[in-house]
Amino acid sequence: MLLKVEGLRVSFSVRRGWPFPKTHELKAVDGVSFDVRQGEAFGIVGESGCGKSTVARAILRLVNLKEGRVVFNGIDISRLPVRQLRRLRPKLQMIFQDPAASLSPRMRIGDALAEAVRVHGIASGKAVDRLVRDALNEVGLAPESAERFPHEFSGGQKQRIGIARALVLSPSIIVADEPVSALDVSVQAQILNLMARLKAERNIAFVFISHDLGVVRHFCERTAVMYLGQVIETGQTREIFDAPSHPYTRLLRSVSPVPDPEKPALAEVQEGEPPSPLDPPSGCRFHPRCQFVTDVCRTKTPVLRPFGGGLVACHHAETLPPAEL
Amino acid sequence: MSAVVTPRHRVARLAPGRIAIVAGVAIMAVVIFAAVFAPIIAPHDPYAQSMLARFRPVSAEYWLGTDQFGRDTFSRILYGLQITLWTAFASTALAMVCGTAIGILSGYHGGRVDRWVSAANDLLMSFPQMVAGIIIVALLGPGITNLIIAIAITAFPAFYRMARSAALALRERDYIDACRVLGYSDIRIIVRHLLPETLDDIIIVATLWLATAVRTESSLAFIGLGAPPPAATLGGLVRDGFDNLLDYPGLAIWPSLAILIVMIGLNLVGDGLRDANDPRATA
Repeated sequence: MLLKVEGLRVSFSVRRGWPFPKTHELKAVDGVSFDVRQGEAFGIVGESGCGKSTVARAILRLVNLKEGRVVFNGIDISRLPVRQLRRLRPKLQMIFQDPAASLSPRMRIGDALAEAVRVHGIASGKAVDRLVRDALNEVGLAPESAERFPHEFSGGQKQRIGIARALVLSPSIIVADEPVSALDVSVQAQILNLMARLKAERNIAFVFISHDLGVVRHFCERTAVMYLGQVIETGQTREIFDAPSHPYTRLLRSVSPVPDPEKPALAEVQEGEPPSPLDPPSGCRFHPRCQFVTDVCRTKTPVLRPFGGGLVACHHAETLPPAEL
Repeated sequence: MSAVVTPRHRVARLAPGRIAIVAGVAIMAVVIFAAVFAPIIAPHDPYAQSMLARFRPVSAEYWLGTDQFGRDTFSRILYGLQITLWTAFASTALAMVCGTAIGILSGYHGGRVDRWVSAANDLLMSFPQMVAGIIIVALLGPGITNLIIAIAITAFPAFYRMARSAALALRERDYIDACRVLGYSDIRIIVRHLLPETLDDIIIVATLWLATAVRTESSLAFIGLGAPPPAATLGGLVRDGFDNLLDYPGLAIWPSLAILIVMIGLNLVGDGLRDANDPRATA
């Protein structure tokens, strides 16, 4: 197992109230576990605010975790001293949602890539330039790009640069936080194809975070669905999307556009927004929006348990009618 | 904060502020030239006293007249410019380096350290600048070095706040996270990725604070806390001239005019740079 996330919890303190503000604990991620195999793409989907980006940031220690472990290649990196963590960083890279914001604006592309190479002592002298040129070439950019500044590139090109910057370090896993949602649809496909090629050719694993089910379905072998900081269903991507068990997964499926004009639009679209993670509902967190809700849902919190081919956190998984898709 | 300001855009945006900058740079070029080459330009020794040449009016020999010891006012202004500018540059540079370094570290680090350092800075800022300057010079004793330190301390909060708020804002940006994921040390992130982004703003603040430093120096000299005699500073000259203000007003007026010209020059450069850098000011 390349990456193992166990019981991950991340909280933020929020001060609310007047005139005497109180500190509330916002549980952004509340007990998330999953694992990623070598060369595999693992998807995390969910609405905005469900904590999926926080999971990504916690894996990379960009936010501190309150509880849980992140085991990478057998090493628990969640408690590792910063210096030792830094040495492991090259193997564990990230691609950001906003490619423009993720590049230092005043640094030439070549310098930015070379810096990463030099800091980790991967190469020196002329070899650095060759590595940089190879990486640019691999993501489909001309070698001359090295001389230019980030603002001279389009969004898709910037994302390629972001990928190249990760590639020069030859990572074994890349955490991609909404890597294509800021891009045009035509460019999305190019970037996805590039990532698929890297996965196949370089055997790089991906943690792929997205709210776009179509993109996840195209790219990921396995997927976890998150709701209010918890995983509510996980398993093979195909099974989850073709035969969703959890009512929330069904809701997600029903609202994501289906590219088939023959199919009638689904009538039963539930309304409402997810409740605030500051004050999550009792029992099953999805119960206020669920059409199958019963009394047990309001009082007892369901845990992930094997169902079908994967895991699902729903009291009524067995008795629910088959999903109409 | 969302728009990424790129080097190319900066150059284009210099246009509106250009006239002010050109005028300011021209004034400062003349002033600095005069100060640096004072020993060559000055027609007389600024310290040479002559009881025969006391209170001379403006003439071909004494361009701006002489003071009560017969010293040439023009020469003294040139030498005074030297000390005044040196004091201003040195103190602003000192404040800029210390304020920026501590501000960026504090903002980048955040948390309790940041809260305490900021509280200390607020305390320093709550003193009016002149009062703080007077207290510090009084504590340190007279002398140009102490004067520089005193002015630097009064200018410190401006740089600290500027650098801290810039670091605080930039810290949240994706590219700083990217640096951390790439395994860069904090020092590298600050020096190579944070500092270059804040430098523009800091240099603008520095230019504007140069003018304030000149004013602080002059004010301290005026109340007798400046460079000790016989050293001439512009503020000191104004003060000396005050003794004979009614009979020989020129002795106070000429150095005052010199201060005015320096202030205008520095403010034009600073304002011009600021306007050129601020997209709202051009609208």
